Amino acid sequence: MTLYIQHGHAKSTRITDAFDDDSARGVVLAARNEKVANLDSCVAMLHDKYKCDILFDPQFYVSTLIPANDRYLPEEYPYYELGRTAKDFIGRRKVDAYTKQTLDFQADRLFDRLLSPTVIVNSLTDRWSQIALQLADSSIEHHATLSDPSPLLISVVISESALDSRSELDAFLDTLTGWDVQGYYLVVVRDDPTYSQRFDEGRLARLLYLVHVLGDRNGYEVVCGYSDFVGIPLRAAGATAFATGWYQSLRQFHEKAFLKQKPGGQRARLRYSSRPLINSVMLSELESIHRAGYLDQILSNVELDSMIRRATSPERSEWTTQISERHHWQTLSAMNEELEGSPKASTAAVIESVRQAIGLYTVLRGSGVPFERSTDGEHLREWLRALTAFQREAGWA
Amino acid sequence: MPDLPTLTAEQVEAAIEPVSNVSDLGRGGQKLVFRGDIAGTPYALKFAIAPDELDATASDDEDSEEGTDLDVIVRASREVETMRDCASPHMVKLGPIDLTVCTIDDQRLLYFTEEFIDGRDLRTILGTDGPLPADDVITLGIQLADAIKGLWDLQKVHRDIKPANIMRRQDSGSFVLLDAGFAFDVVGESLSGGMLVGTPIYFSPEQFDYSSRRTGMDFRSDIFALGVTMYEVLTGRHPFWRRGHSSQTAFNNILTKTPDPPSSIVDGVSVGLNEVILRMLGKSPHLRYRKCAQLVKALEASRGSK
Repeated sequence: MTLYIQHGHAKSTRITDAFDDDSARGVVLAARNEKVANLDSCVAMLHDKYKCDILFDPQFYVSTLIPANDRYLPEEYPYYELGRTAKDFIGRRKVDAYTKQTLDFQADRLFDRLLSPTVIVNSLTDRWSQIALQLADSSIEHHATLSDPSPLLISVVISESALDSRSELDAFLDTLTGWDVQGYYLVVVRDDPTYSQRFDEGRLARLLYLVHVLGDRNGYEVVCGYSDFVGIPLRAAGATAFATGWYQSLRQFHEKAFLKQKPGGQRARLRYSSRPLINSVMLSELESIHRAGYLDQILSNVELDSMIRRATSPERSEWTTQISERHHWQTLSAMNEELEGSPKASTAAVIESVRQAIGLYTVLRGSGVPFERSTDGEHLREWLRALTAFQREAGWA
Repeated sequence: MPDLPTLTAEQVEAAIEPVSNVSDLGRGGQKLVFRGDIAGTPYALKFAIAPDELDATASDDEDSEEGTDLDVIVRASREVETMRDCASPHMVKLGPIDLTVCTIDDQRLLYFTEEFIDGRDLRTILGTDGPLPADDVITLGIQLADAIKGLWDLQKVHRDIKPANIMRRQDSGSFVLLDAGFAFDVVGESLSGGMLVGTPIYFSPEQFDYSSRRTGMDFRSDIFALGVTMYEVLTGRHPFWRRGHSSQTAFNNILTKTPDPPSSIVDGVSVGLNEVILRMLGKSPHLRYRKCAQLVKALEASRGSK
């Protein structure tokens, strides 16, 4: 079980719920949403009560976003400073100071891994990618000076457009695989800010390749942050763990979530995460599926399904936002547990699941079940093409 | 290519006092090589013509073109330094005489001594005895991986691993890597003025790309060359080159061709060894092994596999 909970605003009992449900094995705590004192007490509590991996994303990368929605970062975290530009990274001394502050902050606490500071990279050949590599290099050097530190994960936060060029990715991988570190904390910044499982097939194929080369070929630990459903094929390709949170903004990484915005916004609608559909659908859509007589085929077969099963219909169940979140993790955890064996075998199994999901969607549409654009299963064809392209790239097909 | 000195064994013995029983071993790389005893122990003595304007401070700060006089001293300095500092028992060792200048018969010469290895190089073995058994090839891989690691601990890349530069000791059967004259120092300024150095049919894909050599070349280039060597001594065939091929064909093959698995050429090659060698021949460094220890582990595992 290698699902981690991606922490963010309003943690309440959400993290402990996931551990109590036995859905998650770890947590990636976020600096932005927690005062240091609360962070420390949370870590102490988790260590006392659970056997789990505790990681901390320092969210150093927020410092280059303008206008940043950085909440507790400016006042609580010593390594953070609002509004850093490329000029602030000229000179090794400055870079070394950032890495020292960021890693020392973590080394003083009971985190199971130390995460290096990084910046968001939009192109693997631009100035920011060089800054990210300098921060990584400096982190490796500083980590080596620490006394008995937790292992180091190099943070890599890249826009999905950075995955457009295979030759650039190859050169980037040559650099990453030259480092002697425990592994990588990898986050992909999504282009489309709406919550959807869709992913450009070429980019996804190259992301799978990236994870495979790091995790399987080179034996690094690879933790994919903000990954949600796509964490399943990433795990199959070689990721050690993937993280997802309670809000949609904690399931997929969008810059928008870290930029100041006007208050307001729609209240999230109730959703149901279906293992057979490899998607999260609206509760109203689940109701239509129920009426069409296909409910059993799309239930995830996890513990909290009992709430749907014992109600006369999905919309009449006691389904709540928090139940939906816990159910989401139970579903992803169950999907993750199905991945056994080599990346080759796991990838083949994921491809088979995607094919079945495509078939299931076809049947449901044929029965008149309406889906919204974000839940219509279109991602499955993109995933299928990406996975088969990745299979060929890995020499498995 | 720099000229070689004109020397006889008798001249060497007469000119270099502590050396006795000198015999001519022929040419080795860009040097003339003799065997001679010092205090009863045999060593190899290597001679090259010294540049006219010999700068005693010449070092890896090389900005010369391949084959110039200065290039000779830079390479010799690098070779001596590498032999002296590399901890691996599978890298040839420096002898008791460090890099020295002398004059013999009006020729200004550079010379040094190195460990004398009683044995044959792999090119000779391949030519006379044919391919090596799989088990010996695994041993070769493990021992040369140790030499590559020893060099990389010094931040050096050998750049010229090939059968002719690997000796097999007569007594123990172990393998030793020779000729660190092309060793590339990734932290120093030791490029070769834009010229490709080494032996092109053993080049890694990234070695052809001058622009990426600063950032793209590390010990994984040596792992590629070792993979080519292992393939060749295992199967009797070079994975990317045949007699009659142009260098352009070899270059294209190195960049694009996936070689046939060794097991399709010779019997008795395990699936494990096949996989290891093909992985060593990955077109990008990130597809090979990121640590020599990983390679050694995979080779050891392949010994018992079917």
